[in-house]
Amino acid sequence: MSSDAVKKRKPKVIRNETGTPETKRGRAEGDQSVEIEERRTQCSVHFITLKKLNRLAHMRLKKGRDQTHEVNTHIVSSSGEFYNAFPSLEMSWKWTFLESQHEEIELVSEEEFFQEAPAEISRPHVTRDDQHQLTLARLDWELEQRKRLAEQYKMSLARKEKIQKAIEQKREYLSSLQPGLQNIMQASLPVQEYLAIPFEHMQKQAEVSRHLPPPLYVLLVQAGAYGQACDKNLSVSISGDVDEAKALSRPPEDSQDDESDSDAEEEQQNTKRRRPTVGVQLDDKRKEMLRRHPLSLCVDLKCKDGSVLHLFFYYLMNLNILTVKTKVSTTTDLSGAVSAGSLLNSESLLNCLYASDHGKETPNPANRYQFDKVGITTFADYVSDLGHPYVWMQKLGGLQFSSDSALTGSALSASHMERTMKLLRGRLQARLALHKQFSSLEHSIIPVSSECQHLFPAKVVSGLMRWTMMSHQEFTELGFVQHVLKAGLVHETDLFFMAVVERGTARLLAAVVMNPRYPEVAPLFSFSLHWKGERSGRTDDNLRAMESEVNVFRSELQGPRPGLQLLTNQIQRLCVCLDVYLETESQVCDGSEGPKEFPREKMCLRTASPIKMNKMQGLQKQP
Amino acid sequence: MGPVELLHMSVFSQSFSPCGRFLAAGNNYGEIAVFSLSAALSPDASEGSQKPILNFTAHDGPVFTLLSTDTHLLSAGNGEIRAWSWAELIKKVSPINSRNTSTQVLTSLEIPEINAMIINPKDNSLVVGGGDNNIHIMDMETGIFKSVLKGHTDYIHCLCFKEREGEILSGGEDGAVRIWDSRTNRPVHCIEVFRYEVKQIRMRMPQFGKWISCLATDSDWMLCGGGPSLSLWHLRSMSPTSVFPLPGCQREAVFHQDLIMSVGEGPYVSHCLHGGTVKAQIPCTPSSLNTLALNLKNTEHRVMTVGGSSHQIDVFTNFSYRAFSLSF
Repeated sequence: MSSDAVKKRKPKVIRNETGTPETKRGRAEGDQSVEIEERRTQCSVHFITLKKLNRLAHMRLKKGRDQTHEVNTHIVSSSGEFYNAFPSLEMSWKWTFLESQHEEIELVSEEEFFQEAPAEISRPHVTRDDQHQLTLARLDWELEQRKRLAEQYKMSLARKEKIQKAIEQKREYLSSLQPGLQNIMQASLPVQEYLAIPFEHMQKQAEVSRHLPPPLYVLLVQAGAYGQACDKNLSVSISGDVDEAKALSRPPEDSQDDESDSDAEEEQQNTKRRRPTVGVQLDDKRKEMLRRHPLSLCVDLKCKDGSVLHLFFYYLMNLNILTVKTKVSTTTDLSGAVSAGSLLNSESLLNCLYASDHGKETPNPANRYQFDKVGITTFADYVSDLGHPYVWMQKLGGLQFSSDSALTGSALSASHMERTMKLLRGRLQARLALHKQFSSLEHSIIPVSSECQHLFPAKVVSGLMRWTMMSHQEFTELGFVQHVLKAGLVHETDLFFMAVVERGTARLLAAVVMNPRYPEVAPLFSFSLHWKGERSGRTDDNLRAMESEVNVFRSELQGPRPGLQLLTNQIQRLCVCLDVYLETESQVCDGSEGPKEFPREKMCLRTASPIKMNKMQGLQKQP
Repeated sequence: MGPVELLHMSVFSQSFSPCGRFLAAGNNYGEIAVFSLSAALSPDASEGSQKPILNFTAHDGPVFTLLSTDTHLLSAGNGEIRAWSWAELIKKVSPINSRNTSTQVLTSLEIPEINAMIINPKDNSLVVGGGDNNIHIMDMETGIFKSVLKGHTDYIHCLCFKEREGEILSGGEDGAVRIWDSRTNRPVHCIEVFRYEVKQIRMRMPQFGKWISCLATDSDWMLCGGGPSLSLWHLRSMSPTSVFPLPGCQREAVFHQDLIMSVGEGPYVSHCLHGGTVKAQIPCTPSSLNTLALNLKNTEHRVMTVGGSSHQIDVFTNFSYRAFSLSF
């Protein structure tokens, strides 16, 4: 080891001693080896001494360090209390700082000091004269005060700890109560149902309803009140995502921070890659504008025969309008009537509940400007997706867009609620009745109820052959309905049907226009008769008289309230009129044509001469 | 009156006021509307002046005939005759509320309907043709029915009066035109129109029947039409001289100067000459016409008005074309 070290060092020493490499080879080998040995030993001794000295030096250093450390710790501990009271003071090791510390300490004023400090500290007889003593005394007092405060602090900390522990305990206790209470509530549900006090349900509803937007809330309250007070078959419930609704109503600062962050991100993204196209941006803006509130109301109207009309109300937040989607559920199967396809269609079920309330355009005039910004030309495109914004609905939610009345909010909603609910129920019942009637009409049977039998004679020979539905386009192309179109009695929202009545060789085509508000507004019939030529109400006064029999004198054809038999009674009256017409027309043509096609079946006191047709009808009614 | 009712309205009768400045028209709903001709014909007439100044419900059933005396308007429908004071009508006072002006006459008679009324100026009596196949004559001053003329076998459509001889002509559903002497109340002649033919043209049109719905006389001549074609008769010889080839049934015809004007099925007024030719057919609004009236009492408002299967009444100032329409 050391010899290795020596050996390693040796070539250096040799080189240094010998100087130039040329002289190395000139010496004698023997002298050299002895000298070398001596020097080698000297070297080793020197090295060992060097090491020893090095070690000693280290040890001395270490000892010195330990001593200073000890002294320092002693200082720290003795001045620890002092510094504890002022944690903001720098912990400095230099003595110079310590000396000037006391000047930085804020001492209470002298007067206060003399007032407050106890006599043994203030020692006024000494300190009044001696500034130094005064300062010392004051420092003493300061120390004393600080000690006391430190004590107090410790005590209050301890108390706080205790109280916190107590709070924790109580919280645990409470949280342990929660499952117990839940069990009790569950157990009480059957009792609630039995006593018909849906207490828990109402609580839940009230909880969720807090997050509803104002128009839906008004609607909920008013509909619920109406249901409780007047209409036991109406029920309201809330559906949708409550958490999202809560998220929407979060305070705006958070969202602003998020916005700024996301803006920053977006900017970075924009600079890094290409911007999304204008079309996509516009699309997003549109989606944002048409956004629905996550919560929606469901109102169920039950009818006596068990069918239910479900109305789902949605609120579009940015446009501030309500929209509705409908669904009908019935107890009986509704299939089997081809022509009744659009009767219960959710798109058109609630059309024109009030006159000219089509529900295709938004009733809020301010939306026009919003639409212009995002390039929406008409709201009608989105109606199938978002629901129909009928005007009566806005009124039920307390939203007033026209300057008709001064009412807003709940008062507006309450003033319309009863009438609208009645209309809704009436509409559903009318449509369901029509549905049934249509399936019967398609089988060529005119369903006349027993209450209405007295309106018609016992034997009616003309029969309904066909009952089909038509589109608006097909209707306007018919030749014999132009007078109705000219009089402005046909709208695109109406329903159109064609009935074919036959007797023998005579065939009567009847085109029917039905307003969605049936039976408030009666269907309008127009006739075209194919019998020995073609005649219509325009060319033949008798047919015109028949038309007025069916269209104008409808009040007697309404049947028992609510007048749902109107259509079928009108068709039956049409058949009766056709019978009379054909029989009397044949009477008129005497002579050589052989047996009359239509023998007289009814007691006709008069044969037909044109103007008096309606008189004949009058006679028919008298038995 | 909703749009559906308007669509199905028919005007059955018209009558001008004694002064000639107003027109009363009756429709199938039992309403009578009074129009002001002076307002409608004035240079600054507007759409409002083509509306009635007064519109009231006179009868339960249709108003089939209207007749004006010097002071009153008589209307008849289903078995009742009512009289309205022209003075009140002109003042736009609705006469329904003032019961004292409308006299309910003929309630004792059970006639299903009254189709025609004329006045016999000679003895100031009202001649009524009814649905009970008889003609009733009522004294206007006393209001009592003087006599009944029986003879028709079916109800009476139209009545006409020959001033010179004091004869009443009546046409009915049974196809006969009967001529009665008003003084003796006895039938003088009976013509069954459908049996005749002129120059091989049969008057009878089988598809329409034989009923006579219009009659008009002008001293020696008589017009009659209905189921059979419109024909001109010479009364002294009791023979038809010409038949007018008009396509539909004619419901009213009048003599005017040397023209014959008639209306009936078809949306036009036919102008015919005595010889039997149809000179012109003037188109008008309703698809078929029931009544034609000429206002000859007032030279300022000399118009012809026609009404039919529409709620509009066409007014002709120059008889060759339609000027405008009054509407209910």
